[in-house]
Amino acid sequence: MTVLGPAPAEELTRLRAENAALRARMQHRDDELEVATRMLQARARTMTSVIDAVTEQSIIGTDVAGVIRVWNPGAERMLGLPRAAVVRRRSITDFHLPEELEDAGGGLAGLVRTAQEQGSDVRDWTYVAADGAELTVSVAVTPRTDDRGVHAGWNFVGTDMTEARATERMKDQFVSLISHELRTPLTSILGYLELVLDDPELGAEARAHLGTVERNAQRLLRLVGDLLFTAQVDAGRFSLQPADVDLAGVVRAAEETVRVTAAATGVEVVVDVPDGGLVVHGDAVRLGQACDNLVSNAVKFTPAGGRVTLALRSAWRTADGAVVEASRDDAVPVARLAVSDTGIGIPAGEQGQLFARFFRASTARRHAVPGVRLGLAITRAIAAAHDGTLEVASVEGRGTTSTLTLPL
Amino acid sequence: MPTAAPRVLVADDEDDIRALVGLAVRRAGCTVATEAADGTQALAAARTDPPDLAVLDVSMPGASGLEVCAALRADPATAGVPVLLLSAGASTDDVARGLAAGADAYLAKPFSVAGLVARVRELTSGVTA
Repeated sequence: MTVLGPAPAEELTRLRAENAALRARMQHRDDELEVATRMLQARARTMTSVIDAVTEQSIIGTDVAGVIRVWNPGAERMLGLPRAAVVRRRSITDFHLPEELEDAGGGLAGLVRTAQEQGSDVRDWTYVAADGAELTVSVAVTPRTDDRGVHAGWNFVGTDMTEARATERMKDQFVSLISHELRTPLTSILGYLELVLDDPELGAEARAHLGTVERNAQRLLRLVGDLLFTAQVDAGRFSLQPADVDLAGVVRAAEETVRVTAAATGVEVVVDVPDGGLVVHGDAVRLGQACDNLVSNAVKFTPAGGRVTLALRSAWRTADGAVVEASRDDAVPVARLAVSDTGIGIPAGEQGQLFARFFRASTARRHAVPGVRLGLAITRAIAAAHDGTLEVASVEGRGTTSTLTLPL
Repeated sequence: MPTAAPRVLVADDEDDIRALVGLAVRRAGCTVATEAADGTQALAAARTDPPDLAVLDVSMPGASGLEVCAALRADPATAGVPVLLLSAGASTDDVARGLAAGADAYLAKPFSVAGLVARVRELTSGVTA
């Protein structure tokens, strides 16, 4: 006897139901697949549109042999060839100066060596465009992997630096132009003035007039020096000649420099330095310049009857930058020069701009105090180069205290 | 020993400064042997007729003062000529470059005439002594 299953009609119904369920599941999977495909396409489009939207940077992707597979509009623009003329047809090395690649070790290997060793590399390369033009391009090189994490090629993202590098060179040339072209006529002016002033027959009035000429020529010379120094600081090309420097001597010399001006304008200058001196390790010329700047500023901004105090002390600087009088275990010894005046002061709202080049406080403008306006920026650069600090505290109408702190 | 005044070569492309240096040279009791307006002229003059002192501007057309100085040092006939460099670049690097080229002294422009007179006297003192 055969065991029979459900009746054929029942069986059929069950199978139909199963079939319908299977179809429904398949449809669901289909829908899911379509959604996933659409999402992937959308993401690919987003990626492509991002890469295509980059018109100022060249984005070039290659396979492991250096054959170009990705070429964005930025690359088209920079190198003058459309995507169709390049992709799968040209190598990245075709757009480099052969001698530069040679210097780096030759071919693609030289181009990607650092990126291979360190994971990425950014440096200037010379790209050669379709018309033969040579461009200085800052290129970031990174390796590219495929979806299984296997090395699949290289990415080269380039920014055209031709203009920026040319501007840097122009600035350098401009600085030497200032140095040479302005100092040369000043050499003649000051040299011949010296000869004339040497003449014992020169009348008193003429001597006084020529003294004014000389003072102004010296002022012009200082301005040239300050501009030059500022440019050197910007370019990171300013070097110190370190030696042991007695700051007490530097402070006394600064007082001597302003003595005549201070006496003429009725400002009292008080020097308060340790009798035994205070020696720091630094550049005597630059520290003298910093000190002169602070003292001459103080005298300049103090009206008749006022007082300028130059107080030099040894002190301690804690890790958080605070300067304290008493010795502490967590602090390093420093020299602190405080230049205080009873002058016109700087409004609180303007004190943040003090170190900006060419900045002038409204109080200075109102009182018509002349100035080159480079002094504080230069003084702070000198302080920083000595691992020191410069701080300015001021109350409008009451006075200003500039504090220079240098490690001992 | 020669008793005549020491003879000085003065090289600078600026006429006014050449005249100023010439004046200082005469104030120092020397004579101006040759005035040169560029480095090539200065070197040719020094080779033809070695002076007792060469005062050279660093930045000149033709050959720079540094190049002239190095060329003088390299030639046995002029290797002993004292060289005073004048330069409008006043940084310590400039001084170092000047001394590396074999200069005996270096003055930054603008220089004081009295200072120049003193240096010229000092560098030619062996000649008249």
